[in-house]
Amino acid sequence: MIRMVSVSKEYPMGSEIYPILEDLTFHVPKGMLTAIIGPSGSGKTTLLNLIGGLDTPTHGQYFLNEQDVSHFSREQWAHERNRTIGFVFQSFQLITALSARDNVALPLVYRGIPPKVRRLQADDALEQVGLGHRRLHRPSQLSGGQQQRVAIARALIGDPALILADEPTGNLDQATGQEILELLQTLNRAGKTVVIVTHSAEVAQACRQIIQIQDGHVVTVAQEMERVR
Amino acid sequence: MTWRDGVLLAFKGMAGNKLRAILTMLGVIIGVAAVIVLVAIGQGASSLVTSRIETLGTNVIFVSPAGGTPFPASEAAMITRALPFPTLVVPEMNTGAKVSTLTASGGAQIVGTTSAYIHLGAISIAAGHFLTPLEIAQDQHVAVLGANQVQTLFGGSNPVGAAVMIMGQQFRVIGALNVVGQGPGASQDNDIFIPMTVAQSLLSTTQLSQVTVKTSSPDQANLAADYLTNFYTNAFGSATAVTVASEDQVLQTLQATRATFTNLLAGTAAIALIVGGIGIMNIMLVSVTERTREIGIRQALGATREDILLQFLLESMAMSLSGGTIGAIVGVGLVHLVPVLLKTPAVFSPNALILAFVFSTAVGLFFGLYPAIKASGLDPIQALRYDG
Repeated sequence: MIRMVSVSKEYPMGSEIYPILEDLTFHVPKGMLTAIIGPSGSGKTTLLNLIGGLDTPTHGQYFLNEQDVSHFSREQWAHERNRTIGFVFQSFQLITALSARDNVALPLVYRGIPPKVRRLQADDALEQVGLGHRRLHRPSQLSGGQQQRVAIARALIGDPALILADEPTGNLDQATGQEILELLQTLNRAGKTVVIVTHSAEVAQACRQIIQIQDGHVVTVAQEMERVR
Repeated sequence: MTWRDGVLLAFKGMAGNKLRAILTMLGVIIGVAAVIVLVAIGQGASSLVTSRIETLGTNVIFVSPAGGTPFPASEAAMITRALPFPTLVVPEMNTGAKVSTLTASGGAQIVGTTSAYIHLGAISIAAGHFLTPLEIAQDQHVAVLGANQVQTLFGGSNPVGAAVMIMGQQFRVIGALNVVGQGPGASQDNDIFIPMTVAQSLLSTTQLSQVTVKTSSPDQANLAADYLTNFYTNAFGSATAVTVASEDQVLQTLQATRATFTNLLAGTAAIALIVGGIGIMNIMLVSVTERTREIGIRQALGATREDILLQFLLESMAMSLSGGTIGAIVGVGLVHLVPVLLKTPAVFSPNALILAFVFSTAVGLFFGLYPAIKASGLDPIQALRYDG
């Protein structure tokens, strides 16, 4: 699903160039549940942004679904994200002025799907995360856990093959975090590739592949079988 | 994103912050209403000129001396003789003067003329009678008052038989005129008509201000104008010593002045619209900043640059078009109120309505463009991190 070959990311700051990620090579197979772990500032979120096309690599090659997307334009990435990728953020990133239903339906707006169909699909996605009864509520009227469920419903509404989650349990208490993790596991079992950036050892343990990053380098890539050993 | 979604989103955005939307639209509302009302007032003035052409006819020419050209009272008889066809020739000498009664006083335009003036058709008698040949021949101190003078000096009551003081001499009021109304040039409503013979001794001069010539047809008026122009050019050796203008020419000049006036009013209103547009741009820029995170979210979910551009552009256009619609309703309403409140004619112009709409749309498009470009150019990562 995701294949990175010698990928680097540098940011210019004044006349200096700061490397954030250096020579990253790894592979996330289709249908995998992957955790990206590492200390703060190690470049985890930058890596997730590269995977999601919110940012582009400075060097190296990135293959998404066997397609070389290293040099995709902003517009190409917008289309790719809309069809292939669902995002879940630590701070939920819901639009406060919209109802849960309208938030969930948002990716379909950019596919040109008519409002009636969008509404039906959004209600369906909200049912899947157990929030069918709160569809008309605004984000401010929902708890943190509920907001993250709305965000997950939004990530899965377009039926993307890949779900990228950046610290999805970071702002939630343990019990709620556990629920969200289970929800992501369920989606993974249904065939979606899920990549989670996390600090939580618990979340990482629940994943079948762990990519550990330190100082911009991949330190280890461990599959479930190896970890059992 | 489809256009339909964009429009829906734009109106939802406005509905989400009604007070701000209304305050932002205010500039456009005022601008569009101003365009419609001011153009209507300008058109009203023009239509008055046109209606005067219709009542007076275009068979009148004006002959007046320029600068120090001698133009004695005998000039009227001279013109009558000079023209090869019968005409009505009316001499006039005008001056501004203080007038008073026992109870009131004011300023007036004193017109010394002959009994023929009434036949020009510009004025009509409301009470009493106009100057008669006998009164003029006998140098009688009699006066005919324009409608405003009746109002100022006699509070609107019938002045016939009463006395009025003009330049220290007492005159007997023999007639009052109907309202003429504001038209091209000065209105006769402020005039006081006295025998020309009396005016000559009162002003100690025989110099005429103007001679009005009325012919039996517009063609004859043009002919007379050409004839007199030649006549005076030969007499004084200069084409500018005496001005000969047909009613038609005078009115055309006035029409042109009115058109300039209308354009000036429309221009002023257009400035109001532009200021309204700047208001929209200002609020849209604030909106883009406030909604930076929303823009980031939309980008992460698949919105292209074009989608974001369209969203913000449609929002500013929705605002300017809504403002335009409200402004048009207010403007058309005011056009109906202006004649009642300001006693000025106003003629609604559909062109002004179309112009105002086109202009307000253009304002929304133009002033919405910069904020929309700014929004669509945001970096998704920065936008998602924005903590506003």
